[in-house]
Amino acid sequence: MDPPLIHESSFSAANPSAYSLAEIWPFSGEPGGSGGGLGLRMGSLGGLGDSSVNRDGSLEESTVTEQSGGGGGRKRRDVSSEDESSKLVSTSSASGLKDSSGKRMKLAGSQNENGGSKAEVEESSAAGDNKPAEQSTKPSEPPKQDFIHVRARRGQATDSHSLAERARREKISERMKLLQDLVPGCNKVIGKALVLDEIINYIQSLQHQVEFLSMKLEAVNSRMNMNPTIEAFPSKDLGAQPFDGAGLLFGSHTPREYAQGSHPEWLHMQVGSSFERAT
Amino acid sequence: MKKTLKLYLLTMTNITTTGVTLNIKSCRTKFAHRFVRSLLQIRNHAPPSSSSSSEEKLIQKRRQRIKIAAYLSMAHAVGPRMNWSRALLFKLRNRACRHRKKRRIVVIRRRTKKASRSSQGSVPVDQAKKLRRLVPGAKSMDLCSLLEETAHYITCLSTQIKVMQALADHLSK
Repeated sequence: MDPPLIHESSFSAANPSAYSLAEIWPFSGEPGGSGGGLGLRMGSLGGLGDSSVNRDGSLEESTVTEQSGGGGGRKRRDVSSEDESSKLVSTSSASGLKDSSGKRMKLAGSQNENGGSKAEVEESSAAGDNKPAEQSTKPSEPPKQDFIHVRARRGQATDSHSLAERARREKISERMKLLQDLVPGCNKVIGKALVLDEIINYIQSLQHQVEFLSMKLEAVNSRMNMNPTIEAFPSKDLGAQPFDGAGLLFGSHTPREYAQGSHPEWLHMQVGSSFERAT
Repeated sequence: MKKTLKLYLLTMTNITTTGVTLNIKSCRTKFAHRFVRSLLQIRNHAPPSSSSSSEEKLIQKRRQRIKIAAYLSMAHAVGPRMNWSRALLFKLRNRACRHRKKRRIVVIRRRTKKASRSSQGSVPVDQAKKLRRLVPGAKSMDLCSLLEETAHYITCLSTQIKVMQALADHLSK
């Protein structure tokens, strides 16, 4: 019997905001009716024309963000994530319902315009229908930040295992996007396996490059060691002059080094394995 | 010599940091300092004139040392907060020990490999396996953290390569 409790508490938390909504609303024409009850308020919402709802969108959203401290941050996230039905969902969040029931409320309100009592009936039925989803999402409620992203759409499974699996998959796809941005030329590739192949190739090429650069640096380093003019190395820019002689002397030497030592390990090289082989 | 190198490094790190985050920048400077220091150490420790018989071996050895120094200084610069750098540090620190206890460690490794293979189960399995082999310390990770570590590893490798390239260009002038 948890969901009804939640509804009551959220109603009590949301009631002041409902009043404030009624106060702010200059277009509604029947501000007294909204004080009577939530159902009546929703009915008055339905009774409005569509244009007035669209005009009041910003106002509504502002009130919702004001009260979101009491009603929970997740509702606000819902508002921001859904663009189309955000306004009506925000009203439903003010009344502390789930979004699906909010949508239903929207439909009901737009269809039967008079409906104060009918909206109430609809609301109660929506709450009754919404129970399984509420129960399934209940265990993940304490960390409210995680709660937002795990939402079952229509036709998706709602038990906790599949919800967790869906969250994990979303996380993985997020990371894959990040990696795709990192690896050049990976944005055009479609399919996870191909993207991963591309990433693997890129890492291998990077490791090859490290190997090659270490070779180069080794040659340079040893050459500088052999070179007696190191101490006369005056500054970073003038340093080229004493090294010209060295380059002439060892110019024939260094390419031979690459040709000699590199090939056997160069072909099948990975960082980990080459380290193991080095020992 | 050392001073000039350091000066050069400072200018280089100031120049070449564009389009990367501040974290990477600090990483790059740290890596450059460490790497230059280890390069100087390698140069000082190396015998001034190598004997004619084991010339190639010496070159190979020095090359390995430079490569290891590069990876090690990168891992140091990243610090122990990432998994791959921790694994790399551990691996490279225990190289000397492994030299002595080679066989035992090989046996242990086989066992761990089998265990990890049995525990793997993810979306694109073959690619994930390959990736695990490439990224250090990724053998016992779930797919999410594997991808995260891979991203970080790629950025670090690319900065490492940039620094090494710049150093090589400068020194071979």
